[in-house]
Amino acid sequence: MDPQPTRRPGETVFTVMMLLLSIFLLWNAYKISGFSSKSSPGAFPLAATLVMVVAGLVAVFNTLRLPEGPKGFSAFRSQVAPNLVLAFAGLILFYGLALESVGFILTSLAFLFAGMLLLHRQGIGRSLMYSVLSLALVYVTFRLVFKVVLPEGIIPERRILAEIGAVLGPYLGVR
Amino acid sequence: MEALKYFTMAWFDPNLLFLTAIGTFAGIYIGAIPGLSVTMAVSILIGFTFSWEVNSALALIAGIFTGGVYGGSRTAILLNIPGAPAAIATGFDGYPLAKKGEAGNAIGISTVMSVIGGFFGILVLAVGAPIISEFAVRVQPRDYLLLALMGVLLVGALSGESLAKGIWAAAFGMVLGSVGLDPLTVEERFTFGLPQLTNGISAIAVMIGMFGLSEALILLHDLDKKAIKQRVDNIVPKWSDIKKYFGLSMQSSAIGVTVGALPGTGGDIAALLAYDHAKRVTKNPEVPFGQGAKEGIVAPEAANNAAVGGSYIPMLTLGIPGDAVTAVIIGALFIKGLNPGPLMLIEKPHMFWFTVGNLTLANCFLLIFGLTGIKIFAKIVEIPKGVLLPLIVLLSVVGAYSINNSADDVLWMIAFGVFGYFLKLYGYQTGPLILGIILARLIDDNWRRAIISERGDMTAFFLNLVSSPLSAILLGIIVAVLLSKTPLWPKRAQTKARAEGST
Repeated sequence: MDPQPTRRPGETVFTVMMLLLSIFLLWNAYKISGFSSKSSPGAFPLAATLVMVVAGLVAVFNTLRLPEGPKGFSAFRSQVAPNLVLAFAGLILFYGLALESVGFILTSLAFLFAGMLLLHRQGIGRSLMYSVLSLALVYVTFRLVFKVVLPEGIIPERRILAEIGAVLGPYLGVR
Repeated sequence: MEALKYFTMAWFDPNLLFLTAIGTFAGIYIGAIPGLSVTMAVSILIGFTFSWEVNSALALIAGIFTGGVYGGSRTAILLNIPGAPAAIATGFDGYPLAKKGEAGNAIGISTVMSVIGGFFGILVLAVGAPIISEFAVRVQPRDYLLLALMGVLLVGALSGESLAKGIWAAAFGMVLGSVGLDPLTVEERFTFGLPQLTNGISAIAVMIGMFGLSEALILLHDLDKKAIKQRVDNIVPKWSDIKKYFGLSMQSSAIGVTVGALPGTGGDIAALLAYDHAKRVTKNPEVPFGQGAKEGIVAPEAANNAAVGGSYIPMLTLGIPGDAVTAVIIGALFIKGLNPGPLMLIEKPHMFWFTVGNLTLANCFLLIFGLTGIKIFAKIVEIPKGVLLPLIVLLSVVGAYSINNSADDVLWMIAFGVFGYFLKLYGYQTGPLILGIILARLIDDNWRRAIISERGDMTAFFLNLVSSPLSAILLGIIVAVLLSKTPLWPKRAQTKARAEGST
C-alpha cells in the first residue's frame, strides 16, 4: 500500500472506536480471572488485550499526526461508503439471512441475478444467463462432486437427487 | 532394495498413478479457490475414502496436499486473494507482478520454485527424518511460544503501512482465537453470555470473510476501472531466472522444511518467514519488494512446498502432526489401524518409503500441471468484475456454510467481511489478524505449559529463555525484528528499511 499522505475521511473516528473496543475487551479479559495467576485462563487474553490497547493508542496518536484530508459526511459517503457498496452489502446480508430458510438454490440464484444486474449492468437476459450458468457450475462442483451439504430450503433437492440417482444409477455403476 | 521397491510402488501401479495425478490436479484448484482449503478437502476425502485400501487414500491425499499448497499462489498472483493461508506471502509481490502484465512469468516461477521446494522437502524427509525428529523432541513449550510470537510479529511488521495497526490486528486476532471455552479449565472467555460463542468463532469463517467478502467489497471501488488484462503467456520461466534464484530457493526450502517439521507450524508461517528472509538477504532487488520483486515469489513458494515434506517428518516419526493437514492424515491412519509414531519407521518401513515415493510423484505431476493448464485457469481473471464479484461472494458463502453446515458461520463470515472492509480501508491489515487467530491456541497453551513447567517461577522462565540455545536464538530474532521497526534502530538502517518497507 502506498504511504498515506493524509487522513482518510472517518479515520480518526474509526481508530478511536478500535481503541474503545480494545479497552472494552481488556476489561472483559480482566473479568475472566483477574490477576490471579500467570497461567490462569485469563492470562493470555489479558496480555493480548493489553497489547491491543497500547497499539490502539499508538494508532490514534499516529492518525492525529497526519495532515487532515477531505472530511465530513459527504466525503465519508463518497470515499468509504458509496451507494454501490451499501447496496451490494445489503444484498449479501439478505442472502445470508434467507439462506437457511429458503434454501441454497433459490437464494443463490436471486442473489447472483440481483448482484450481476447491479454490478454488471448488461441487462436482464444476460444477467439471468450468467447467474444460471455460474450457479449450475458451483452446484455441480460442490454439491455433486465434493458432496458439500448445502441448505435445502423449500426445494426437496435430496429427494430429486435420489430419484435421479435411482434412475441413472444402474447405468453409471453407482450403487 | 526393499525401500526402492516401496518408493516406486505408486509409479508403476496405474491405479495409484492415476489417483496421485488426479489428486494433484484437483489440489491445485482446491488450493486456488478461496474458502476451499486443503484441510477441508482432505477431511471430506477421509470420509469417502473410508472403504478404500490405505495406499490409494494416501496417494490421493499426497497429491491434494502437494497441489493444494501450490494452488493457493495462483489466486494470490492473479486476484490478490490468497487461496490458502500458505499463499498470503506470495500475493505481496505476485499480484503487483500480475498487474504489470507478468502474471504468466509469476506463475511459472512459482510453479518451478514450488517443485524445487517440494523436492527439497522430500529429500530432507527421506534422508534427515531421524535427525530432524531428534531436534523436534527437544523443542520446549517456551520455544513454541517464541516461534508463534515471531510468526505474528513478522507478519505484523511486513504487511501494511503501520506497525501499530499491524500489531493491533494480530492481538485482536488472538482475542478472537481465544473466544469460547478455555480448553484447559472450561472457563468461558469473551462469550458475553451468548451460547453461540461458547464453541468459539470459526477461524475459517473469519478468514473467508476477511479475504473473500471484504476483498469483493473493496473491489467495488474500482468497478468501472478497466481491469488490467493479466497476460499469461511465457508460462515456462527463463532458465536464467531459475539459475539466478536457485540459491535463494535453497535457503527458503531449508527454512520451509524446518518450520514444517516443527509441530503446529506449517506452510503459512514457513512462507512468511522465507519472504522476510528474502527481503533481508536481497541487497539490490531489480524491483523493490511489494512492487513485484521475483524474490518475493521465489522464497514463499519454495518454502511452503518444502514445508509439506517437513510436516510429514514429525507425523511419521513421532506421531505428532506437523500441521492441520497432517493432523487429519493421522486421524485417517488411526482408522486404518496404523499408529504413526516412533515405532512406525522400524515396524512398517514400507509405509514411510511409500509416502516418500508418493510425494515425489505428486511433485512431478505438479510440474506438468503447473506449467500447462494456466491458460484456462487465467480465464477466471478475464471474467468481468460485475460477474466475478457476486460469484466470489457465492463461493465465500458455500465455503463458510460447509465448515459446520451452519448458517451461523455464514453470518459470522458476512460480519467479518464488512468489518474487514473498514479495517482494510483504514490501513489495518487482515493478514496479522488471521495469523493471530490461528496461533492463539498454540501461544496460550505453550505459555501456560512453559509457566507450569517452571512452577510459576518467572525468574527461572527468563533464565531458560536466555540459557537454552534454541530459545535464545528465537528470542534474539524477535527482539531484532521489533527493534528494526522502532526509532532505537540506527538511523541508516531505518532509512533503508523505510525505502524497502513502504509496501
